Amino acid sequence: MAEKKIAVRSQDPSQRRVLDSATRQRRLTRQLEALEKDNFQDDPHASLPQLVKRLPQFDENNESGKRRKKTRGDHFKQRFRKNFQALLEEEELSVSEGPNYLTACAEPSTLPQRHFCAVCGFPSNYTCVSCGARYCCVRCLGTHHETRCLKWTV
Amino acid sequence: MVLTRLRSDIATRKSGKSFSLYIVNNIHTNTSLVSYLTSDSCFLSVIPNCQFRSKTLRLKTFTANQLDEIKDPSGLFYILPFQKGYLVNWDVQRKVWDHLFGKEMFKVDFADTSVVITEPYFNFMSIQESMNEILFEEYQFQAALRINAGSLSAHRYFQENNSELCCIVVDSGFSFTHIAPYCRGRKMKDGICRINVGGKLLTNHLKEIISYRQLHVMDETHVINQVKEDVCYVSQDFYNDMEIAQLKGEENMVMRDYVLPDFSSIKKGFCKPREEMNFTGKYKTGEQILRLNNERFAVPEMLFHPSDIGIQEMGIPEALVNSINKMPEEMQPHFYKNIVLTGGNALFPGFRDRVYKEVRALAPAEFQVSVVLPQNPICYAWEGGKLLAENPDFEEMVVTREDYEENGHCIYEKFDI
Repeated sequence: MAEKKIAVRSQDPSQRRVLDSATRQRRLTRQLEALEKDNFQDDPHASLPQLVKRLPQFDENNESGKRRKKTRGDHFKQRFRKNFQALLEEEELSVSEGPNYLTACAEPSTLPQRHFCAVCGFPSNYTCVSCGARYCCVRCLGTHHETRCLKWTV
Repeated sequence: MVLTRLRSDIATRKSGKSFSLYIVNNIHTNTSLVSYLTSDSCFLSVIPNCQFRSKTLRLKTFTANQLDEIKDPSGLFYILPFQKGYLVNWDVQRKVWDHLFGKEMFKVDFADTSVVITEPYFNFMSIQESMNEILFEEYQFQAALRINAGSLSAHRYFQENNSELCCIVVDSGFSFTHIAPYCRGRKMKDGICRINVGGKLLTNHLKEIISYRQLHVMDETHVINQVKEDVCYVSQDFYNDMEIAQLKGEENMVMRDYVLPDFSSIKKGFCKPREEMNFTGKYKTGEQILRLNNERFAVPEMLFHPSDIGIQEMGIPEALVNSINKMPEEMQPHFYKNIVLTGGNALFPGFRDRVYKEVRALAPAEFQVSVVLPQNPICYAWEGGKLLAENPDFEEMVVTREDYEENGHCIYEKFDI
């Protein structure tokens, strides 16, 4: 325990790497983007081989109606393959008078920022010099240095 | 999302033939509320609006309520049609709808059916166009009404409280939270406000902090969502609860032990009763335990202080007051008196009281503040849709397929999303 304390705090300041604000902002953005993800893991089917296309069969003619519907869907798929980012850019370009998606976003709060320890979640009073994360006690700082501090850098 | 089938008596009399109606309603982008309504009965079912893939059952993709077929939903992989609350993956959405409308669930006779479908505020134009196309060309519904979920909630509210002039609807769902003022049924567009915090972000945040602090659960969105619903609550006095959470042993009234499901003997996770909790640490029973402490209230706190995790936006009470302040002065007292909470996040214990407490503190002292939490905040908009569909004016509001074929996408003006 005593050793850990030394390792955390008595580093030579000239050797300590300090992240600039742009990098800190980038890390924050990436963390927030991670919170929007649908899944953390990979698609369990991704490793499976693609199913081979079904061979045409003799009774195919009987279901021409069904096939017609399918082709319409394919056309649809091609036309509307847009992700959120593309839609947002389109909206930005065609922005008109009056309220829209971009103006509807809540404004920044007027209340002061609150700070919580990045490790245990309790209110914190200190800031990590290297990366700007918050911590509440030496123990949490030690955990932070060992696990996250500069290990996440872009 | 809500789907209703309704055999309306009024319509039957008018058209002289049976007329059925489906209401599809995207309240939660992750959940669909589906119901089948006839003149004498109504079934409502809630199904997930997405597809799933399981780690164990390979080669099959499960759609919507086929989720129940998966015996071991650990490491469940979600395929959602929505991104940030907007419909982008039409392939998935069509598969879910094919399942709903098809022989598995409601055998819809499209030519005889009207649909009510909700969309988010300020939905992107190309999504609206795609929606028209898919409803009228692909499925060929007889008529459609595309509307904001908040408008349905407001309709429901005004039906019950018809002496009220205004109301402000808070819809806190899966992808985001919207605040929308309504005056005599009219949407006040200037006051609409979106906070980019919803249930998905809360679940992901909880997943993240549990994974960092005790057990790697990043793959277990399904399980952790259940944990969130079971143990999280909105704190009434945040810093006081933080102090309690720092206490050791039995004095810590916040701490809970949550038994995780193993999907063989324990099908669903649950909170250990307080009497059975072992404060010193290990349990002998061998169940897998999550110990939840300040996470319980720090996670829903994101709705009130998004800036805590670095989202520089107002929380719900502050945004409410901000929205009301944008309204004409003579309407403001009416808005304070009629705050309606809807959406899944309104189910957190303490949510209503906290919103009331903070709005009360921010509002001018001479105004009366009243915050209403409906009995079922998730279904509230759907109830509004049902009322609307039974309304004689309904036929004036919808766009029929003939209208669409004649005028094309210009019909969107009628919808005013």
